Amino acid sequence: MKRPITTTINERTRDIVVAPNRTLLEVLRDELGLRGAVEGCGVGVCGSCTVLVDDRPVSSCLMLATNAEGRTITTIEGVSRDGELSPVQRAFLEQQAFQCGFCTPGMIMAVEGLIRENPNPDEAEIRDYLSGNLCRCGTYSAVIAAVQSVVVQARAETENSRPAAH
Amino acid sequence: MSVIGADAPRVDGPAKVTGAAQYTADIVLPGMLHAKVLRSTMPHARLVRIDASAAERELGVVTITRDDLTGMDPYYGPVVKDQPIVGIDRVLFAGDVIAVVAAEARDIAEEALDLIEVEYEPLPVVTDSDAAMAEGAPVLHAARRTPQVTFPDMKSVHFQTDSNVCSVYHVERGDVEAGFADADELFEDVYSVPTIQHGHIEPHASIAYWEPSGKLVVHTSTQNPSVIRTQLADLFGLPETSVRVIVPYVGGGYGAKTYPKLEPIVAALSRKARRPVSLVISREEVFMTAVRHAASVRIKTGVRCDGTLVARRVVATYDTGAYADIGPRTAKNGGYSAGGPYRIEHQDLTSYCVYTNKPPAGAFRGFGVPQVCWAYESQMDDIARRLGMDPVELRKRNLIQENDLFVTGDRLVSVGLDKCLDQVVEAIGWRGIESTRPIETDRPGFVRGLGLAVMIKSTMTPSNSAASVRLNADGSATLLTSSVEIGQGSHTGLAQIVAEAIGLPLDRVSVTFPDTDFTPYDQSTSSSRTIFSMGHAARQAGIQIRDQLLEIASGRFEAAVEDLEIVDGSIRVKGVPAQSLTIPQVFTTHFGAAVGSLFGAFDYQTTGGLDPDTGMGKASAFWFLSAAGAEVEVDTRTGKIRVLRAVTSVDVGKAINPRQCWLQNEGSMLTALGSALFEEMLFDNGQPVNASFLDYMLPSMEDFPDTFRSMLVETPHPEGPYGAKGMGEAGLGPVAPAIGNAVANALGGVRLRDLPLRPERVLDALTKEGLQ
Repeated sequence: MKRPITTTINERTRDIVVAPNRTLLEVLRDELGLRGAVEGCGVGVCGSCTVLVDDRPVSSCLMLATNAEGRTITTIEGVSRDGELSPVQRAFLEQQAFQCGFCTPGMIMAVEGLIRENPNPDEAEIRDYLSGNLCRCGTYSAVIAAVQSVVVQARAETENSRPAAH
Repeated sequence: MSVIGADAPRVDGPAKVTGAAQYTADIVLPGMLHAKVLRSTMPHARLVRIDASAAERELGVVTITRDDLTGMDPYYGPVVKDQPIVGIDRVLFAGDVIAVVAAEARDIAEEALDLIEVEYEPLPVVTDSDAAMAEGAPVLHAARRTPQVTFPDMKSVHFQTDSNVCSVYHVERGDVEAGFADADELFEDVYSVPTIQHGHIEPHASIAYWEPSGKLVVHTSTQNPSVIRTQLADLFGLPETSVRVIVPYVGGGYGAKTYPKLEPIVAALSRKARRPVSLVISREEVFMTAVRHAASVRIKTGVRCDGTLVARRVVATYDTGAYADIGPRTAKNGGYSAGGPYRIEHQDLTSYCVYTNKPPAGAFRGFGVPQVCWAYESQMDDIARRLGMDPVELRKRNLIQENDLFVTGDRLVSVGLDKCLDQVVEAIGWRGIESTRPIETDRPGFVRGLGLAVMIKSTMTPSNSAASVRLNADGSATLLTSSVEIGQGSHTGLAQIVAEAIGLPLDRVSVTFPDTDFTPYDQSTSSSRTIFSMGHAARQAGIQIRDQLLEIASGRFEAAVEDLEIVDGSIRVKGVPAQSLTIPQVFTTHFGAAVGSLFGAFDYQTTGGLDPDTGMGKASAFWFLSAAGAEVEVDTRTGKIRVLRAVTSVDVGKAINPRQCWLQNEGSMLTALGSALFEEMLFDNGQPVNASFLDYMLPSMEDFPDTFRSMLVETPHPEGPYGAKGMGEAGLGPVAPAIGNAVANALGGVRLRDLPLRPERVLDALTKEGLQ
C-alpha cells in the first residue's frame, strides 16, 4: 500500500507517494530523477548512496523512503547553489580527489556532513568519519587533502570576517 | 608551454563532483524493462528440468532459458567459447546463470525468479586447481570447443582438451638442472594467493535494444567496446556494423569489465522482449561474475654464495574457475614473468590455467603477475637472509638492465628499475642489512619491520589501437577514440597528447566516449595500454593534422614547412612571431572561408608474439618496472598487522600528467594492501561464503597507512608518445611481498607464504617457531 509523505529535498518541499518497501535511494533515483547517489553494495557499507538527512550523512540504500516524512534531505544535486559549486565540491575539483567518480557524490556528501558536524577536524577525525565511504580507485590521499583544504579555507574566511582586534 | 608533463586538471571533474556524470545504470530508455538473473545454487550439477512457464503466465514477464537460444550461438568467450548465455546442460559454479527475466519493474522480475522451477542432479565438485588436476577428477569441459584465435597473442599457449587444464604456457632458457647443480644453495618453496574480487564500486550494468532494422544497440559498462561488438556480432551472426556498443563513464573495472559479461544476456533478452532491457546486478552477483585467479606457485632457485641467481624453475597454477574467460592469457603472462626482473642464466617457467567449479577468473589489475611476484620476491628475502646479505644488495646484483634479454628473448628497453629501487630505499630509510632486523617499540608485544620488493610486468602484445582526430575551422579538435574513461584519466591524458601533437591549447581538445558506430577499433582499455597504444595513435593522428596546417601555411607565408611552428593554436614563422596565422585563417586560405575540417587517423599495432613451442619471441611492446617498500607493525599477541608506511616507485617512461600517475598508482597500492592483509573470497565446497561487502572488506581510510607515497621514474620509451609507457598496474605487484618481507623482518625471519596475512596465520607461524 503506497503512502503519501511530505519531505524536503534540496530545499524544496515535496509531497510524494511511496511504497512502504522502497528505499530512499530508489525513490531519489527512479522517481525523482536524482541520479547522483548510486548503489554500490546495497547493504550500507560502501557509502556511494550517501545523502544528508537533517544534515547527517545516511546510507540512502538502507533508509526506507517512508522515513523521510518530515525530514530534510540534501543530495549531491542540492549542494551547489545557482550553478556555483560548494566549497567541498571545489576542493574535490582542485585536489582532483576522484578517479572513476562513482563513489564521489557519496564521498562529497559524507564530507558535507563532517564539516557541518565538526568544522575543524584533524586528520584522524577525517579518516574516522570517512571510513564508511569506500573508493577502490584508492583516491583517499587526495580526499583527505581536499577536506583539509576546505577546513583551512573556512578558518581563513572566519578570521578575515572577524572584527579587527582593538 | 608544453602540456606534456603538466598536472592538467581532469576534464571529467565538473561532471564527477556534481553527480552529473552518467554511468550505465543512470540511463533510462523509453519502454525499458528491468532484468534479474536466476543463478545456480549448486557448484556443479546437471540441469534436469527448467520451467519458467509459471513466471511468464502469472507475472507476464519475459524469460530466457536454454530453450530460447535459437538462431544464435549460445556460447561465448574471448578465447574459448565455453560459457553459455544461460545454463544449457549443466551449471558449473554456484552463481552460474540459469535463466533471466525481464519485467516492467525490478521487484516483479525478482518475484518471477521464485516462480522458475529448476531440478538439479548434483555432480562432483572440484574447488581448487590441485584437485582439478588430480587423477580421476571430474572433467568440467569434456567436449571442449576449439579455441578461437580472437587475439594474435593467444597463438602462444597450448590448449588442452582432455583434462581440466585449459591451457599451458612454457618457456625455458639454458639448462635449469645444470644450473641447480652449479649452485651453492637451493631454495624451494610453495606460495599461494587466494581468489579475490575486483571491488569496482559500480556493479556491472548493461542495456540492450534492437532497432527495427535488425541492429543491436548496447550501452554497457565495459573496458573493451570493440571486442564486445565483435563477440556480439559473432553470437548473433551479424556484420559488425549491425552492432553498436556505447560506453558512458565506467565506475571502475580493474579488469572485471573486460570481455563479455552481461552483454550477451541483455542482447538475447531484448531480442525476445522486443523492448530495451536493462540489467544492473547486485554486489553479491558481482562476486559471481569475475574474480582474480587464485594461484599456487612452486618456485625453486639456485644461488651462488656471492648472491648470483643461477637457475630458477617455477610452476604456477592459476585457478580460472568455471569458464576460461581471459585466463589463458593471464596464466601465460604470469608464466613468463615468474622469473622476476632478474638476470638468471637458467630458467624453466611453466604456467597452467585450470578449470574448477568456482566463479570465472579473468583479468585483474596486475594480470597474473602479483601471484608470481608474491612468490619470487618473498623467496628473494629468504635467500638474502640465508646468505647473510642485504636484500637490496642481492637484488641489485641480479637486476635486469637496459638492453638485457628477457627470458622470452625480448630485448628490454626503458628499464629504470635500479632508480625505482633507489627511490624506495631512500624513501623508506633502508640502511642495509641492519634494516632486516626487528625494530623494537615501546609497546610490549609490538614489533616493527621494513621490507621491499621489485617487479616486472608486460602489456598485451601484439595489440591494436586506432585513433581519429578532427580539427574544426574554429581551431577546436575532437579525438574519436574507443578508449574508456574508467577513472584513469584517459580523457585528460589523451587530450594532452593531441593538444601537444597539433599545437593547440588544451581546452580546445575534446575526447569522445566510445561509440563503435563512430569511434575506431581499440583492443581494450586494460593492460595499462591506453596512454602507450592509444596515445601513440592519437599523437600520430594529431601530427597528420599539424602537417596539413603547416603545408597550407607554408604556401601562404612562402616559407618552408621546417621554418614554421604551431604554438597555442597559431601557426607562425619561427623567430618571427609577427608573421602568424590563426587556424580559422588557415582554413580560409584552404577552403575560401572558415569552414570544413581537417582529419588525421592512425591505426597502431604493436608488434610481437611468442612461439607456442618455445615460448620465445617478443612478449611485450613495453615493460613496466616498479619497486615497493613498507614498514609494518605486528602485534605479536593478536597477530594483527598494521602497515605504517607504504611507498612505491614506478618507471612511467614519461609522465604525461604526473598527478594522475601518482593517484592511479595509489589505487594499485591500496588494492595490493587489501590483498596482502585481508582480502580473500572464501568457498565452502564451492559455495561462496563472503560474497558481500559486509563480509568481504575493501581497504577503507582506516586501513590507509600514515605514509602512503607514490614516486615516478622516467626512462623514456622510444615508441611511447613523448616517451610515455603504461603504469596503471605497475605499483600493484611488489606491495604485497614488500609487506610480507617487512613482516618477516619484524618477526626475525618468520616467513608466511600464504596470502592474505591474516592474524591467525601470523599467530600460527609464531607458535610453530616457538615464538609465541
